[in-house]
Amino acid sequence: MIFKPLFAKQRLVAASAASLLLTVNTLHAREQLYGALTDTALVACEQQQWAGKVPAAEACYRTLIGSNTATGMRAEALWALGDLQGANTTFQQAVNAEPMNAMLRVRWGELFMQTYQYGEASNLFNEALGIDAENPWAKFGLATALANGGGDPEEVNSLLAGVLEDDKAPAGVRYRGMLMAIHSALRKDLFEESAEAIAEARQLATLNKLSQLEIYALEAAQAFMTLQPYQSFVDKALAENPVYGDAWAIPGYYAMITRRYKESGEFYEKAVQLEPKHWAAHLELGQNYLRLNQVTKGVDHIRTSFNGDKFNPATINLMRMLDVFTNDMEVFNFPDPPQGPFPELIVRLNKSQSKVLKDYVQELTEASMKNYEERYRFKAKEPVVIEVYPNHEDFVVRTTGMPGVGLLGVTFGYLLAMDSPTAHPRGESYHWGTTLWHEMAHVYTVEASNHLVPRWYTEGIAVYEEWRTGPIPGRKIPLDVFGAIKEGKFLSIGKLDDGFMRPTYEGQVIVSYMQGGLVMDFIAEKFGFSKIVDMLYLFRDGVKLADAVPRTLNISVEKFDDQFKAFIERDYGKLLENLPKWQEQQRVAFESLQNEDWQGAVTAGKQAVALFPDYVEADSPYIALARAYSRLGDHDNEFKTLETFWQQGGYAPRALLALADEYTARNNSEQAFEVLKDVLWSDPFAQDLHNKLGDLFMTHNQADKALREYQVLLALDPQDKADANLKIAKAYQALNNKAKAMEYLLITLDIAPQFREAQALLLELSRSGATTTN
Amino acid sequence: MNRFQRLICLSSGLTATLLLPTVAHAALYISIVQGLGGMPQYEQEFTSSREKIEAASVTMTDKDKVFTFSGEQANRDALLKHFAELSKKMKADDRAAVYLVGHGSFDGETYKFNISGPDLTSADLKKVMDDLPGKNHFLLNTSSTSGAMLEAMVGKGEQAKSTKYVVISATRNGNERNATHFGGFFAEALTTKAADLNKNNSVSVQEAYDFASQRVESFFKDDGKLSTEHSQLRGDGAAQLNLSRLNALEIKTELADADTGLSELLKKRQELDAQIEDLQLKRSEMNTTDYLAKLQTLVLQSAELSEQIEAARGGAAATPAAPTRNPNSTPPPSPGAPGSRRDF
Repeated sequence: MIFKPLFAKQRLVAASAASLLLTVNTLHAREQLYGALTDTALVACEQQQWAGKVPAAEACYRTLIGSNTATGMRAEALWALGDLQGANTTFQQAVNAEPMNAMLRVRWGELFMQTYQYGEASNLFNEALGIDAENPWAKFGLATALANGGGDPEEVNSLLAGVLEDDKAPAGVRYRGMLMAIHSALRKDLFEESAEAIAEARQLATLNKLSQLEIYALEAAQAFMTLQPYQSFVDKALAENPVYGDAWAIPGYYAMITRRYKESGEFYEKAVQLEPKHWAAHLELGQNYLRLNQVTKGVDHIRTSFNGDKFNPATINLMRMLDVFTNDMEVFNFPDPPQGPFPELIVRLNKSQSKVLKDYVQELTEASMKNYEERYRFKAKEPVVIEVYPNHEDFVVRTTGMPGVGLLGVTFGYLLAMDSPTAHPRGESYHWGTTLWHEMAHVYTVEASNHLVPRWYTEGIAVYEEWRTGPIPGRKIPLDVFGAIKEGKFLSIGKLDDGFMRPTYEGQVIVSYMQGGLVMDFIAEKFGFSKIVDMLYLFRDGVKLADAVPRTLNISVEKFDDQFKAFIERDYGKLLENLPKWQEQQRVAFESLQNEDWQGAVTAGKQAVALFPDYVEADSPYIALARAYSRLGDHDNEFKTLETFWQQGGYAPRALLALADEYTARNNSEQAFEVLKDVLWSDPFAQDLHNKLGDLFMTHNQADKALREYQVLLALDPQDKADANLKIAKAYQALNNKAKAMEYLLITLDIAPQFREAQALLLELSRSGATTTN
Repeated sequence: MNRFQRLICLSSGLTATLLLPTVAHAALYISIVQGLGGMPQYEQEFTSSREKIEAASVTMTDKDKVFTFSGEQANRDALLKHFAELSKKMKADDRAAVYLVGHGSFDGETYKFNISGPDLTSADLKKVMDDLPGKNHFLLNTSSTSGAMLEAMVGKGEQAKSTKYVVISATRNGNERNATHFGGFFAEALTTKAADLNKNNSVSVQEAYDFASQRVESFFKDDGKLSTEHSQLRGDGAAQLNLSRLNALEIKTELADADTGLSELLKKRQELDAQIEDLQLKRSEMNTTDYLAKLQTLVLQSAELSEQIEAARGGAAATPAAPTRNPNSTPPPSPGAPGSRRDF
């Protein structure tokens, strides 16, 4: 998963990423008991269940439902048979009958865990601890409930540590704690730690005769992640339980989080073949198919998952999103028809926005493909698929299954999904063109490296490409990041993945994005851009960073870090010193504007711009300065300020539209074109933009391009529809398509019969022999 | 809009004597009330809006039928007296337009338009409008909380359809208490071609309302803010009530032409325009091909007449020039002046 850094308001909170991973439930719905209960009859059924003798196990559980069985055991049996409502009611009865039985509440809490009701589960675990303060099963249950429910990580760790370090705790609960720790280490790519933990867990399991099914699956996952053979571990698991779906689902999950979607899909496919009722695996498989643009299969598996498990919020969200996906989106192929078996580019857009976005998405994507093909010596082997979502939550659900995550774009191999410009309020600094450019870089770096590029490296390249080849040039570094630089928070490149995957302070993910971009800038400047690409291919070949750096750059990672530090000092040392002064002048400039002290705004704005000329975000001093000049009637300086702002990479749409007007007024239509085209990548929904651009194209005899802009204008439902239709008619007339010209002209005259300009065109067309098309 | 309605809407000021002799005696009375600004910024904004409305009004009616009240003159007694006299003076065919530009307040029960001395209440305003003879009158209230006045005058929702006047408020109800932007944009609409969506060189109530509402929406949207005002329009016929003529100069030319023998051509064009409107009203009864063919024929005839008129005038172009950088908009405010100007 790739988180998109762009501007402070949209950047994700690092904690979101961490909790997101915890919510991904790939494990079997009902965990093994591992000794939590010792009822002989129940354990006998469990043994059959986990040996894969499902019909026998089910028959066994049914015998427990009879009235002679203890209520708690009846609840367990109902649960095992899939009757969750019945189990819930029966646990309630059991707890009523034995209010001081802590383990009943623990098990009831586990049932709530299975239905994703982590709050209720936490309550029950806490109630159990209220009865038995040292109950390790309750502590463990609470830890898992808090981890999944977004609780305090420190509390989770403290509870887990309490279980793992408690020698008196039953082996089964310590074993579960170990399994959880192994998962955690694998998620963080801490393979040495995970290997040690696996060995320790195996020893505990062997000593205590606990099932090692999950251990095998985790070993398979670790082997896969470290490019080692993994089949033997899966085989061991299946030898013990031939229908153990997690033998494949667990490696499938780790393939997914390391962006190896094809393998992930294969693993999940095997998981559901072994265990058709593994609803979580169906869900993951469905999502994976969607990532691979295999929509029909994806929808089928998500529906299967929903039908089997109606409690999973991720499935419910996805089902809702699928309605949008299948009913509201339309697909465009480029070229159309394809020149080979497949198109090169597939764009999936919301029907309500396709007329506005289609051509621009195509244009920018194709430009990025050309750019990346050349720079990264890699040609896409499959169609690139772009999905653009007008509703941010739809996009997030489509990509992660759950809403509320601060992402802008996500790339899954050849498929990327992103927010439409309308997914964020106007006035916020969302630049969709840059997001697309960033994500497209991932398509190339991830695929060229066969998905083996380190996270920080692909992010670094994507940010670097934003700055160097993207729609808006220049480094865009949020102010917060300078604070981190000043405090020496940049990491060694050997540890930079930690900044993305194991952030230790709020905002570290963004700091890491920026560091990644700056590292690439440094490599390109000092060693040459080709070294960036060389290293990418070493990653593809399985070379680790510690070897890849000396092999490409002839220096060690440590020396690289030192030189990078000097590079940062060179570029930002002075700015870091002046930053407080800059911030003060920026504040004064905008305050002066507010107080209508135009001269004061000019003075402060000029000082701020001189101190930090690269800062071109929406609150840039350039904006304050230009506004102040405007209010003073100093239009030459207003123009020059806006021009510098734009040249430095400023992208605020209103400022650029004003600059384009100035260029047009100064008969510099070439620059006006460039400015207006830049606005397309930030605010293609601005009606004024298409009006101005269309008019410029018309005056430069490019009626075909003008027509596109006017058609977009009309698609934006302008108030002045008569004018928009007349412009289209004129563009068609210029293209010598008199029939279409007449068609749009009559629409114009239907709206505004007395529109003299339209009447004049009607006379002209009529006299030249044009007729109505209807 | 039927032909009769159209005649009503054009039946005032400069156009009446030449084009529509049958309703030549119908008159339009316009009353503009500028309330208290309270602060220089608002005082300046209200003055600017009031001036634009005055400028637009004299394109629609005789100067002596445009009444402006501001400052101390805009007090309750003077205003109620004025409206009482107006009611007596007006005939059934006459129309009245009332503009209230200023601040308002709502205490949960009573809406008040803030003027010097005792304020005008929603009850006062209802009485003023109800007492006017005839129908097709218009009231604009640009103040904050003016939605409360709307509810008091015409009720909520569908009840408003029974009123004999069109009423616009800048806010949805009495809870929208922030100073509004709607009034400034509405005044701007009366002087800009951008608001003339059907290109008939007039700005109707509906067009001005649409223009201002859209500008307000953009104002908040562009800044990523939640809108604090939601304008409302109640009553029928807003599209038929014109508030401003954008081609006053052209009309003067047409008046001059009346003595040169072009009146016949102008009358024919007027008749053709009326036929086009009739055709548009019958659109649902026709298939698209027939409709467009007839529309094309009629508009073509109208266009040919326009061409003949221009030729007879010696080629003086009455057709608007190609769009430039908003040639008809009012000049931008001087440095420092507040108003509807948007910062980049």
